[in-house]
Amino acid sequence: MAAGVVGVMGIARLYQYTVSGLSVASELVLPGLIAAEDMPGVSPDVVIREGEVPGALEDVESLGPTWQVGKGRFLLEVPGILRMLLTEGREIVFATAEGVAREEATVFVSGTGFGILLHQRERIVLHASAVRVRDSAVLFCGPSGAGKSTLAAALSDAGYDLVTDDFCGIAMDADGLPWVQPDGRQLKLWQNSIDRLDMADRRAAPVRKVLEKFYVEPRAASTVALPLAAIYVLREARPPAVPGIQRPNIVDGALMVRGNAYRPAMVRRMNQQALYFQAAAAISQRAGVFTLTRELNFAKFPAVIGWLEAHWTELGLLEQAA
Amino acid sequence: MRKTYWLASYPKSGNTWFRLLVANLRRDTPVDINDIPERSGIASARGAFDSIMMFPSALLTHEECDRLRPMVYEVLAEDDLEDPDEVETKIGHTRFVKTHDSYSYNPDGSALMAGAKGADGVILIVRDPRDVAPSLANHNRTSIDEAIAFMADAASNFCGHRDRQPNQLRQQLMGWSGFAESWLSQVDIPVHLVRYEDMHADTSGVLGGALAFAGIDAAPDETVRAAGFAEFGELKKQEEERGFREAPRPKMGKGPGSFFRRGVSGGWRDELDLDQIARIERDHAPMMARLGYAPAENAAVAKSAPPTQDRIERMTG
Repeated sequence: MAAGVVGVMGIARLYQYTVSGLSVASELVLPGLIAAEDMPGVSPDVVIREGEVPGALEDVESLGPTWQVGKGRFLLEVPGILRMLLTEGREIVFATAEGVAREEATVFVSGTGFGILLHQRERIVLHASAVRVRDSAVLFCGPSGAGKSTLAAALSDAGYDLVTDDFCGIAMDADGLPWVQPDGRQLKLWQNSIDRLDMADRRAAPVRKVLEKFYVEPRAASTVALPLAAIYVLREARPPAVPGIQRPNIVDGALMVRGNAYRPAMVRRMNQQALYFQAAAAISQRAGVFTLTRELNFAKFPAVIGWLEAHWTELGLLEQAA
Repeated sequence: MRKTYWLASYPKSGNTWFRLLVANLRRDTPVDINDIPERSGIASARGAFDSIMMFPSALLTHEECDRLRPMVYEVLAEDDLEDPDEVETKIGHTRFVKTHDSYSYNPDGSALMAGAKGADGVILIVRDPRDVAPSLANHNRTSIDEAIAFMADAASNFCGHRDRQPNQLRQQLMGWSGFAESWLSQVDIPVHLVRYEDMHADTSGVLGGALAFAGIDAAPDETVRAAGFAEFGELKKQEEERGFREAPRPKMGKGPGSFFRRGVSGGWRDELDLDQIARIERDHAPMMARLGYAPAENAAVAKSAPPTQDRIERMTG
């Protein structure tokens, strides 16, 4: 880990966080992540700093319109906002575009950047939000807009602590059991959801100044790793899909897990298909993979939470009512 | 060599019907209406943007997304995605991609749809605005008057909310006239015009002509068969039996609406009142005339209006 220290030199102030079980020292304040104690003399796992970012990599192995991959390095540009260089899962260097405040880099560094960095570390990273149900974590996966954060927000108000929002790192232990590493203390919600969920009093800073999307304090957040008990893939109830919770067969379940990787294209570009498939199969066997099909309608949240609680009782995560 | 053709239409003008016709080509049985690509089948889908750019469109404003969209279409036109979420509407190596985006240019002068780098051509599907209005009202769960106002509004769009995450990228429609004008007047890619009314009159012939424009040879018996499989009664029957995932969402106590509603041309005569007819004709007179939709008092003429196809193909080469 000594190599990670190189980037620390010359930095005036560092903020400490824990992300997916990794210690992070960041020059940038990263709202939404778990703040950690400063541990003098201990090298952080990951360093995030502002600095020079090359326009291109020298040894490009694959590339897209806004990104390049080469030898343990990943260069990403969000045109007009920032560029960042991620190196071997241990360093993120960012440079904002001219005239753009460094705060604008925050959500791209802590979300997209960290998600890709975890891919570099060969972690299993799913596009998911998670809550704590007694001593386990349950995940909600789905593409952008599937309602992951909103459901996690509603569940956190119903008494289930927030574990992660948006992306979720999973570690397999020596016995092949999946564990969920907590990621965040705050939710990221659109104003409409904040209004409908009556959470205006817990609204914090905007995710970006130009967006009506805000960090929101959950009622409570969990900061310890928890065994993964169930994954729900969110679906909208539109014909012919019927509302409810269903268990797909194990192959479909494994494919769903892999398909919900934080960046499926990263899995391909970094040749991690086998890694994901093995993990997905293990997760399907050890934990349940289910589809949760419901209408996208705030009025239905109490009913959906009711289905989930009944299902958690069935799975033994919650005890039977007396 | 991969080819891309946009299927561009103002909403409720027959785009889904056309995609079902394409999907039914060279099949033994009618395709399931819920098997045609949904999320990845439309240019405004977020999935392709997010996966090609590697950062989420949801963290950008509509304007920032628009600036980057040409890059997405360029990549999609070039590459076969290795592991797409869904198959696309394709025949051989030719992709047909639905879009409700008008043809617009970004502030830097680049075409939102990436011009000739995004597609080899466009099949523009138009429909009498007097028939679009009641259909759009049904789809959006609004009144017909609201639909008429929406169609007249050059700033109207789909998925343009800023306080929530719309399920697709914003689509600027430019109003009914503006939509057709934008595609007809661009000179980046060739246009093939299809009128919904002509699809009704000669489904197989219109399909064959459109496929020929896209460089696809389809024998008349093949297009006749596809037309039969995608015949309105068949689509309606499938929707009644199993539902259609693209049907209007439930709203305020109303259950899910039906997508395949009447499937007729000229239904406006018994769905619109005189004032509504007059408003639409006033709002869209020049484009209606250009596309051969005669005003109500001369409604009989509409049926014998000369086809505009030849003129448009000559115009765009």
